[in-house]
Amino acid sequence: MKASGFDYLKKITAIDYNDHIDVLYLVYNIKKREDAVIRATLKPDDLSVETVMRIYRAADWYERELSEMFGIKIKGRRVKRLLLELWNGADYPLRKSFVWGKDYNKVK
Amino acid sequence: MAIMRINVGPIHPGTHGVLKLVVDVEGDTIKRVEPHIGFLHRGVEKLMETRMYMQNQSYTEKLDYIAPLSWDDLYVNSVEKALGVPVKEPAQYERVILLEFQRIASHLLWLGTFVNDVGQLFTVFMWCFRDRAKIMKLLEDVSGGRMFYVNLRLGGFNKNPPADFKERSYALCDYLEEKLMAYPDVLDSSSIFMERTKGIGVLSKDDAINYGVSGPVLRASGVEEDVRKSHPYYVYDKIKFKVPCTYNGDTYDRYEIRYEEMLESISIIRQALDAMPEGPTVGMPIRLIGPQAKPEHVIMQEELPRGEGIIYLVPDKQRPYRISLRSPAFINLSVLPKLSEGMKFADLFSIVGSLDVIFAEIDR
Repeated sequence: MKASGFDYLKKITAIDYNDHIDVLYLVYNIKKREDAVIRATLKPDDLSVETVMRIYRAADWYERELSEMFGIKIKGRRVKRLLLELWNGADYPLRKSFVWGKDYNKVK
Repeated sequence: MAIMRINVGPIHPGTHGVLKLVVDVEGDTIKRVEPHIGFLHRGVEKLMETRMYMQNQSYTEKLDYIAPLSWDDLYVNSVEKALGVPVKEPAQYERVILLEFQRIASHLLWLGTFVNDVGQLFTVFMWCFRDRAKIMKLLEDVSGGRMFYVNLRLGGFNKNPPADFKERSYALCDYLEEKLMAYPDVLDSSSIFMERTKGIGVLSKDDAINYGVSGPVLRASGVEEDVRKSHPYYVYDKIKFKVPCTYNGDTYDRYEIRYEEMLESISIIRQALDAMPEGPTVGMPIRLIGPQAKPEHVIMQEELPRGEGIIYLVPDKQRPYRISLRSPAFINLSVLPKLSEGMKFADLFSIVGSLDVIFAEIDR
């Protein structure tokens, strides 16, 4: 992807559709001013993606946010510390199974 | 020499918010910096999934309390796109004018606090706040709110602009242009300011692209990228303006970019005022209705004062199914370890200041 000119990673985000989770990579070609979205569909039995940090350094914090908010394993990365302080790291608040108002007391 | 670990923050005047930095220093030289964020995390993205479209407007404003209108506009624009509501032409011009005023106000506040950080006298700080107050007064008279405006509605505004809006805006442009001319004379002749910004925190062009920084930080490193040019929204494609770009990538260049942007904004406002057609700008409230046209997703991007903001919205009947916010300050802060490596400890706050971070938006 980077070799074809999409050299700028704008954002990594994910959407929980209950039966599967989509991971989206928003990439951009600075020279041609073109956008592209790469979509990876993850089944619940294997919630993991390969790290893209060696290709796009910008992925660093986005991937950590993804693993904390959605519980998606990032293969090929070892992160010692949570990106967001004061978070328990065991619940995944942006999943649809986390109910706002009911599960918030789990938060430290 | 032994490496010493210093803990900075989370409450510290130099970090402009709740940022904790764990700094490893050898003597006075920084070996490694690790930013700890998340002290202000309140789960805005999750919270917005539980609220109606109209209620969410006040959340997006609080993402960036220095430039609330910019985030609010990005959100309302993405909802308009999801619902398929066109923006009235006079309202498009008025939005551009107010957004650019908001950009100037944001940059002025940044400049004031930044020169304070690097040890300049209080003079420039007072000047910046004096000029920013004029803009806030205008925005207050247009919207009714001093800090948080919440005056955008679908296709327009909550009310028409005041009768003397154009005259006042022209007068304010003249005022700002005259006052802004005095800033470089003070700053460039100050050896304190120059020595603490020139050559500090250099970010090369390749690194800037690779780390994904955006806005003035990206443009200071020589990448001419501006959403107003690459993905024009509203009437930005009808307005002539240039994207300031410098090539050293240091703290001074980031100051210079923001200063040039303020002058460009004044020129944009003047052109928009000239071309603004007469007519009502009142829009309709974001009612509790489901979208007429239901797209699968909406991607909206706008140039905020801090860089490129993106909203990825998956609309549902009455509330967003998922809303994902790309915060420019978040990604700009992630480059801090790279920038401060090998710098002196005293320069750390010059670098943090130059990134223009805001924690409501970073922690979300």
